[in-house]
Amino acid sequence: MPESVSNITAQMPRAKLAGLLLFFLGPAVAIYTLFSIYPLVATMALSTYTSDPSGGRHFVGLANFETLLGDALWSKPFWNAFSNNLIFFAVHMCVQNPIGIALAGLLSLPGLRLKGLYRTVMFLPTMLSVVIVGFSWNLILSPLWGVAAGALKAVGLGSLFAPWLGLESSALVTLALISVWQFVGIPMMLIYAALLNIPEELIDAARVDGLGHFRIFLHIKLPLVLPTISLVSVLTFVANFNAFDLIYSVKGALAGPNFATDILGTFFYRTFFGNQLQLGNPTMGSAVATVMFFIILVGLCLYLFLVQRRIRRYAF
Amino acid sequence: MADLRIEHLNKRYGVTTVLNDINLNIEDGEFVVLVGPSGCGKSTLLRMIAGLDGASGGDIHIAGKLVNTLAPAERGIAMVFQSYALYPHMNVRKNMTFGLKFTGVRPAERERRVTEAARMLRLEELLERYPRDLSGGQRQRVAIGRAIVREPAVFLFDEPLSNLDAALRVSTRVEIANLHRLLKSTIVYVTHDQVEAMTLADRIVVMNRGCIEQVGRPLDLYYAPANLFVAGFIGSPAMNFFEARVKSVEGGRACVAGPGFRSLDLPAGHLKIGDALTVGIRPEHLAQGEDGPLAVEGVVELVERLGESSFAYLRRDDGRLFVAEIRGRQTPPPGERVTLTAAARDVHVFDASGLRIATPNDV
Ligand SMILES: Nc1ncnc2c1ncn2[C@@H]1O[C@H](COP(=O)(O)OP(=O)(O)O)[C@@H](O)[C@H]1O
Ligand SMILES: [Mg+2]
Repeated sequence: MPESVSNITAQMPRAKLAGLLLFFLGPAVAIYTLFSIYPLVATMALSTYTSDPSGGRHFVGLANFETLLGDALWSKPFWNAFSNNLIFFAVHMCVQNPIGIALAGLLSLPGLRLKGLYRTVMFLPTMLSVVIVGFSWNLILSPLWGVAAGALKAVGLGSLFAPWLGLESSALVTLALISVWQFVGIPMMLIYAALLNIPEELIDAARVDGLGHFRIFLHIKLPLVLPTISLVSVLTFVANFNAFDLIYSVKGALAGPNFATDILGTFFYRTFFGNQLQLGNPTMGSAVATVMFFIILVGLCLYLFLVQRRIRRYAF
Repeated sequence: MADLRIEHLNKRYGVTTVLNDINLNIEDGEFVVLVGPSGCGKSTLLRMIAGLDGASGGDIHIAGKLVNTLAPAERGIAMVFQSYALYPHMNVRKNMTFGLKFTGVRPAERERRVTEAARMLRLEELLERYPRDLSGGQRQRVAIGRAIVREPAVFLFDEPLSNLDAALRVSTRVEIANLHRLLKSTIVYVTHDQVEAMTLADRIVVMNRGCIEQVGRPLDLYYAPANLFVAGFIGSPAMNFFEARVKSVEGGRACVAGPGFRSLDLPAGHLKIGDALTVGIRPEHLAQGEDGPLAVEGVVELVERLGESSFAYLRRDDGRLFVAEIRGRQTPPPGERVTLTAAARDVHVFDASGLRIATPNDV
């Protein structure tokens, strides 16, 4: 039997072991520290300072957070951005992921022709720049020169058209749907890959057991790719709470109309860098970034302790 | 329970023909083993019977009914897969009842069948376990149980033992044989292992390159292989083949001789002087001695001792190797030159196209 790695390392001289660890782990630790840990710690540190008009900075403890969550001037836009972000996330979870799962299920059907073409076409928008996507949809949905109104009219649904991006009631959901349109390829691909992993004989066994394609998907494939679906949900959560670019490119930093599309990313941007009459406030901005970090951290912990533990991975 | 009739069955993938004009009748209650080298189309044939793959041509009848267009579940078959194909997210009980739910079997009846199958396969203790907590042999029994509860007319097995270790393979083989005795159902069983084929089958179907080479009872295949392929495939170690020519034809008898062995007398039939033949003798039918109708000489190169007997690898003067089984403890030492002979009834003769020629003992 081959000697186990732990046996080998146990017999190694300490200096040699240290050298070995440094060789294999060193580069990763160095890069991770430089680009992830250091900025995070620096941001958190900055959030405990405040700057006075003369440009000096001094330590204020958690005062910035008190202001952010306690002072109505700050807390109202913050909670507005937070709840908008939740809606943004909910739309992705309820629309993007189910469609991604369904598309993956369709792609994995045996005997489907032009599989590669469908896969590529549906994945294509993911590779487009968000700026281009935002700009295109802005044009498409524009009530003045967009094609959406005309297209709806052509099929007799002209009365349904509204300037969705401009209405407070629909702007956020419209933006979320644009993002869904762009990124639905990612859950589709991940789940499709997981579906390919399911052995053919298992599907054959289900066919012999009398299940049709839909039931096979529902009773066999879906439970077996649950780990991937939950992974996709986590990725969606993290990406949505870090989102910024689409809103910024379609609606600008003000996230109009009347902050209806303001999410944490755009709120942070205005706070940190300033916008129009609002002056940039790096220390307050750092506080917002820190809160965003903790929101995502709490979400991930909830997921890890409540969901991840109950999900079983199946080896085939 | 049902008979199975396959007529002119073809399967093509693009330009490659995987099955070519398969005709086969399987009687009610018969245990038929499809055997052949890897890639010869056994699984394909089985999957077509199951309805998992469509035919490119030809008909399949199960219990007298044409099933070409029926879905697998409507054909009255159950299949046991090589990888077991148990649903990993269901426990043993659920694995067994799952299919029944979709074919309209009532819960009480499902329960009865599972209990019955579990008793038969000694699975009672395992019903609440998940496949990942079962050993290979247990998984195999669950897979068989899942087939039994369907109460199919025809059982289809695709190499069900090939993932088991040697000891388990033997015991599971015995279990499957017992099961067949008990259930009396029709079984089509695919394997590439000729021992499984010989021990389990009422009839063996030897396949090669998408065609059926021979159908027959195990001992018929062993004692009267229809062609060179079957002769070489059935039996282990494989039959020795010697090239030979017809030396003379006289009075209805043909005298055959070739390099490395002495003469052999055959009924002449259609043989002419100079015809090329292949003479086959199984290693277990070669014995030391000189008086048989045929004698082969060779130098011992290597001896494999198995205990109850040994296999001697001998090199003939023309450089070709052949194998002889030697019973008992005494084995010739390497380097020794020995002459071996075989009884006339153990000699197989094949013509130039590989087909069997009747030998003196054939009726
Ligand atoms: N989907 C397929 N497309 C093309 N060729 C196939 C396909 N499935 C099987 N084959 C070919 O059919 C032949 C028979 O395969 P199979 O029935 O699995 O052989 P066996 O079970 O006897 O080992 C093989 O040569 C294989 O390459
Ligand atoms: Mg096979």
